[in-house]
Amino acid sequence: MNATIGEIGRSRSILLAPSALVFIGLFVLPMLYFFLVSFWQVSLFDLDRTFTVKNYIRTYQEYLGVAGFTFLIAGIIALLTTLIALGFAYAVRFKVGRFGTILLFGALISLFGGYLAKVYAWKTILGTNGILNTALLNLGVIDEPITAFIFNPGAVVVTLTHYLLPLAILPIYGSLRGVSDLTIEAARDLGSTPIATFFNIILPQCGSGLIASFSFTFLIAAGDYVTPRLVGGPSTTMIGNYIESLFGFRFDWPLGSAMSFSTLFCCVGILAVTSYLLIKAQRR
Amino acid sequence: MIDVAVTQPDGPNEALVRLRNVSKSFARIVAVEPLDLDIRRGDFLAILGPSGCGKTTLLRMIGGFLMPDTGRIEIDGQDVTTLGPERRPTNMVFQGYGLFPHMNVEQNIAYGLRMAKVPKAESERRVQKVIDLVRLGELARRAPEALSGGQQQRVALARALVMEPKVLLLDEPLAALDLQLRKVMQDELRRIHASIGGTFVIVTHDQGEALGLANRIAVMNEGRVVQAGSPEDIYARPATRFVANFIGDANLFTGQRQSGHVTLAGGARFPDAGGDGVVFVIVRPEALKPSTRADEFPISLPATLVDMVYLGSHLKLKVALPGGQEVTVHDTDLSLRERIQPGGPVYLGWSAAQHRVIDEP
Amino acid sequence: MSAFSGQRVSTWFWRGFAILVWLFLLSPLAIVILFSFANNVVTTFPMNGVSLRWYDLLFDNIYFWDALRNSLIVAGSVGVISTIIGTMAAMALARMRPKIAGPSMLAMATPVMVPPLMVGIALMVLYVSVGIKLSLFTVVLSHLVFTQPFVILIVHARMIGFNYAAVESARDLGASPLKAFFTVTLPIIRPTIIGAALITMALSLDDFIITFFTIAGGNTLPTFIWGMIRTQTDPTINAIATLLVGLTVGLSLVAMAVTRYRG
Repeated sequence: MNATIGEIGRSRSILLAPSALVFIGLFVLPMLYFFLVSFWQVSLFDLDRTFTVKNYIRTYQEYLGVAGFTFLIAGIIALLTTLIALGFAYAVRFKVGRFGTILLFGALISLFGGYLAKVYAWKTILGTNGILNTALLNLGVIDEPITAFIFNPGAVVVTLTHYLLPLAILPIYGSLRGVSDLTIEAARDLGSTPIATFFNIILPQCGSGLIASFSFTFLIAAGDYVTPRLVGGPSTTMIGNYIESLFGFRFDWPLGSAMSFSTLFCCVGILAVTSYLLIKAQRR
Repeated sequence: MIDVAVTQPDGPNEALVRLRNVSKSFARIVAVEPLDLDIRRGDFLAILGPSGCGKTTLLRMIGGFLMPDTGRIEIDGQDVTTLGPERRPTNMVFQGYGLFPHMNVEQNIAYGLRMAKVPKAESERRVQKVIDLVRLGELARRAPEALSGGQQQRVALARALVMEPKVLLLDEPLAALDLQLRKVMQDELRRIHASIGGTFVIVTHDQGEALGLANRIAVMNEGRVVQAGSPEDIYARPATRFVANFIGDANLFTGQRQSGHVTLAGGARFPDAGGDGVVFVIVRPEALKPSTRADEFPISLPATLVDMVYLGSHLKLKVALPGGQEVTVHDTDLSLRERIQPGGPVYLGWSAAQHRVIDEP
Repeated sequence: MSAFSGQRVSTWFWRGFAILVWLFLLSPLAIVILFSFANNVVTTFPMNGVSLRWYDLLFDNIYFWDALRNSLIVAGSVGVISTIIGTMAAMALARMRPKIAGPSMLAMATPVMVPPLMVGIALMVLYVSVGIKLSLFTVVLSHLVFTQPFVILIVHARMIGFNYAAVESARDLGASPLKAFFTVTLPIIRPTIIGAALITMALSLDDFIITFFTIAGGNTLPTFIWGMIRTQTDPTINAIATLLVGLTVGLSLVAMAVTRYRG
């Protein structure tokens, strides 16, 4: 390795090569191939590689309602998660003083708390014989178990909000940390009320964190199938459940692919419009 | 390994470092215009200039951290233009020092010897010697972060010196220190240079530092070396108006040269060889002598005293020429205060040996 | 006067809100951990005393040990490979112009933003179509995709504030670029790299969806838990979930400690 100065550029691409190989070979290529599959069809349990768009037509005809329901649920989860995360991050950054470190630390711990463990925990909490019901029974608040806690969209919203909350807190707290106390004191000094300060000074400075949190939680929620399966019940079947089943016992990769990419493109479209509106609202 | 303490076998004028037609640009911005520069063995050369003049780029090209776009660099007869820093007989003291935070002082200093696979006994001996040289004695086992700025500076210096480089490069080494410490370190650098007699090249934007340390100064501006010479030369006879203004205070008189004589705006006239046209005459504040008589000095200009400030060692006078131009004068003769008064007339005199005539531009 | 009392009310409101959110975040996990040590046959209040019976039951299950072994193999391999290649990339990116490095990193991070269901299925489709047999090896490959962005981001953030003068000094004192990396750069950023490796392992240990699609017959801890959740409800699940949470949280706590992460 007797490198001369000119070799720095070459060594840079050597350093990048393995990562780029993983990214391209194990993400870009599979996604492209998976996308291609959506234009094929299945005959006799084998892929037939003749071009067709009928998978997209089928998706549109048969799964539009499911997709709409999925986006609604994902939207509610993303909005709820982002708002709670904003409130929590705001409180930690500006309102609770030394306490903040402990609170933030708790959020970080729950970030790594395990995806399945969390979903399972909510199943045991919300179940008919679950923790919530038995606790309420023992306290004498209710006489018989409430079955409405689980196997409905609400349970999915609660569970996914819980799972995604720490992931949303981090970017928002990150951008709030960049807001200097000085600008806030200056605003107050110039006669701005706390509420006006929040909207005029703090919110504009964490816009990127909010958009990041909302987008991320929306995408993950819209693509999830484990949570609806475990706590959603039959009334809460989301698009992910159908996609997953197409790669399992129903074996229809092309339709599954068309549904996957339709979902992804719709999500990206929804998020682009939302972010655009948010940014535009902020400019005003 | 060549000992820096070795005497100069090829005589004092032989160039140890030879730059020919060396230039460097960054993304179409020219940092160093094609230039030639010789650094003689045993020199303490200061590359002096304002920030952005290309002086650090030039130093980094000598050290091997940047490859010049054009030209070649020779050190001791060897072409090193394409060699990386690890293969050059130069060592650098970095701005901000670049000490290894995970090694103690001794390990920092021994690093280069470790890379060169110098036997342990010899390495220890040389490290000890250089620790004594820079007076770091009892700090040998400390971590760099436990040292003061001045001490870190000494470690950086020792770490480079232990390699016994043919050329020691110093990139604004004193910039991070406060004024007091900078003076101390200047004395230290002079002492070390005198005691080991190597070739030092320092980059600085501080003219006082350059004058105080170096026996040769190269003044740079906008990617060019505008003047190179001894400190006396550069101070007393600046080659351009930029040099005059950058180093010390300077008074600038506009004049007209015609058939071997220069006539200044204020009326003074003296012989000076050169083509006809507009010239600038540069005179240092302490070379101007205030006088009550017009004929006391060979060259003399009538003026009015505006203000006189007592500064302890000398007086600082503000003088206005008839055209309105203000001139600064330094004089150690404190009795002047009795002879001339603010508002009163005064003549400014000097001799031709104390000025420098520069053709425009 | 009224302005200040109003401020106090708002402070108490925000404190109460933050604590509620904090409880919401942590109590489900606390319940799982609590009941893993309970003598109850079903996970309901009240607790009928403390017992380790669910752990005994779990440790008697040979499939648990298989899953644990597989998880450790995968997480260990992913930790090592992902950290090495991610660090290499971060080194290169840190020396590139921000205008190029920023978008490159964003692009490399897209695998984290696409729903894992799609990533998992796309990888499975590719493996099957190309003819790569599904195994722990394919799981490791798949985990690299979503773990390396974290390594790149973490190490890159460290390199942004890095003082390159130390590395240049090393080069100046005779070290080759490689030697300078191992004797100077690496020792200085070692805590960051260890932290990144631990985070990577925690992410790998916790992944269920992508593993589910790219593993052959065996189990890792999450797929093992998945099987249990679907088929039974005995509190052994509490015990294994507690172990998994302990592993991932433990790894991330150590990671935060070594990198001195502060919020």
